[in-house]
Amino acid sequence: MTLEDDGNSNLRTMIHDARGPLNRISMNAELVKLVLENDMPREKAIEALNKIIVACQDCSEKLQSISDSQKNSDV
Amino acid sequence: MLKVLLVDDDSEFTDVAYQIIEFLGHEVSVAGTLKEAKQWLEHQQFDHILLDFMLPDGSGLHLIDELKSNSENETFITLITGHPSVKGMLAGLCGPKVNYLVKPIQREDIEQVLNRKSKKPTKKNHKALHFGCLIGESAPMQELYLMIERVAKTSANVMLMGESGVGKEVVAQAIHSASECDGPLVATNCGALSKELIGSELFGHEKGAFTGAVGRKDGVFERAEHGTLFLDEVTEMPIDMQPNLLRVLESKRVTRLGGTKEIDVNCRVVSATNRSIQDLAESKMLREDVYFRLAVFPIDIPPLRKRKEDIPLLAKAFLDELNSENGTSFAWNESQLSRLSDYSWPGNVRELRHTVHRAFIMSDPDTSTVDLPSSFASPFATKQSASNQISAGQTIENVEKELIRATLEKVDGSKTLAAEMLGISTKTLYNRLHAYGDFAE
Repeated sequence: MTLEDDGNSNLRTMIHDARGPLNRISMNAELVKLVLENDMPREKAIEALNKIIVACQDCSEKLQSISDSQKNSDV
Repeated sequence: MLKVLLVDDDSEFTDVAYQIIEFLGHEVSVAGTLKEAKQWLEHQQFDHILLDFMLPDGSGLHLIDELKSNSENETFITLITGHPSVKGMLAGLCGPKVNYLVKPIQREDIEQVLNRKSKKPTKKNHKALHFGCLIGESAPMQELYLMIERVAKTSANVMLMGESGVGKEVVAQAIHSASECDGPLVATNCGALSKELIGSELFGHEKGAFTGAVGRKDGVFERAEHGTLFLDEVTEMPIDMQPNLLRVLESKRVTRLGGTKEIDVNCRVVSATNRSIQDLAESKMLREDVYFRLAVFPIDIPPLRKRKEDIPLLAKAFLDELNSENGTSFAWNESQLSRLSDYSWPGNVRELRHTVHRAFIMSDPDTSTVDLPSSFASPFATKQSASNQISAGQTIENVEKELIRATLEKVDGSKTLAAEMLGISTKTLYNRLHAYGDFAE
């Protein structure tokens, strides 16, 4: 495996990891829709929205680490 | 109700997916590792397993192997992956009882994989799709498929010609798919952009290039790098913008508005127009040099009336699509399909799709019969029947007489309005009517 392959593989893993919080955002947003469409307890929606906010922060950190790793590989 | 096993180590995802799947009316069990999943499977039979590809104690594929070894097992498996590239590999690896979802997942995705029965008709449709998007088995379409196949192997620019509604954008999509290129298909409509905006849309702009340019923007040529750029209604592009387009087509280099640096671009340009070659030559809407650059390989897309045998196929495909979206099971009967085939469809495939959709909405949901309207008349139909009255061999005098008669009929006999509509003076109209005699007052 060349150094370049290794870098690409790291990048792919980091992108894969960033999809985790995106997935949580997507599913929690679907849950909020369900709550609103079906007159379910609003606490469920608030809880899901809080999870979306946390997942957004998580995703942002993961994107930052991708950006940092790219900067390091440029150096 | 299905018995579903959800296997994923992301507990936050399983918490929310659990609630959604339960809401959809299924019974859910959750496992965070391969070991836990195996424990569940020892004690219970599941209808469907939603399985993460990467688990802390191994790959989800191990579980598939185990289930496959039991030939009596009827469990359907959906692999959940965060790598879109994995799907190609899975397609070859897995049998008919395994499919996949790529993260991030939506509720609709889960509904679709769990409700396999409603998905089956869609799969059947895909068999009849050429290049993943075109429908039709008629001779003109076979010719079109051959042309797409040939040109896809090259990097030549293609100009699509055909009446409105024949599906030029779908053909552009087919060329893009058949090219198997790495880049995206980027589409833009030259007729929908103002003269001021078209330069920025095509070539991009630098920050501060003009009032309102608050940031840098890549043009469509840059965005379609290593892919396909679809320029719809290319003949509607302002003539004074065409030299800039010509320069990019010739040099394969683009300079953003307000910029100084030339950027290499590498994409196939597929352009489209609903004007005929004769129209293009006469109207001078497209510069000759631009035409020859864009139409290295011109393709004429046949109107629907010239491939009538495809009408039932298209009508069935459109209805299947609506059935699948709405969970209904409407079907055509033979006489309805023959009525659809007999009509000339001046608005082409777009008009047929619209008619099918309207009929679908009007149909009684308690039956499976489509309620087809008694007439398919549309503004396009009127346009065509009027133009049909002109044929070679008629004298100019007769055509003029017929035009005057039809115009007078339209405005309830008002000479002033008729003259205005015909673009002649009222006096001239009276002179003509006097000369014809038969329908003069």
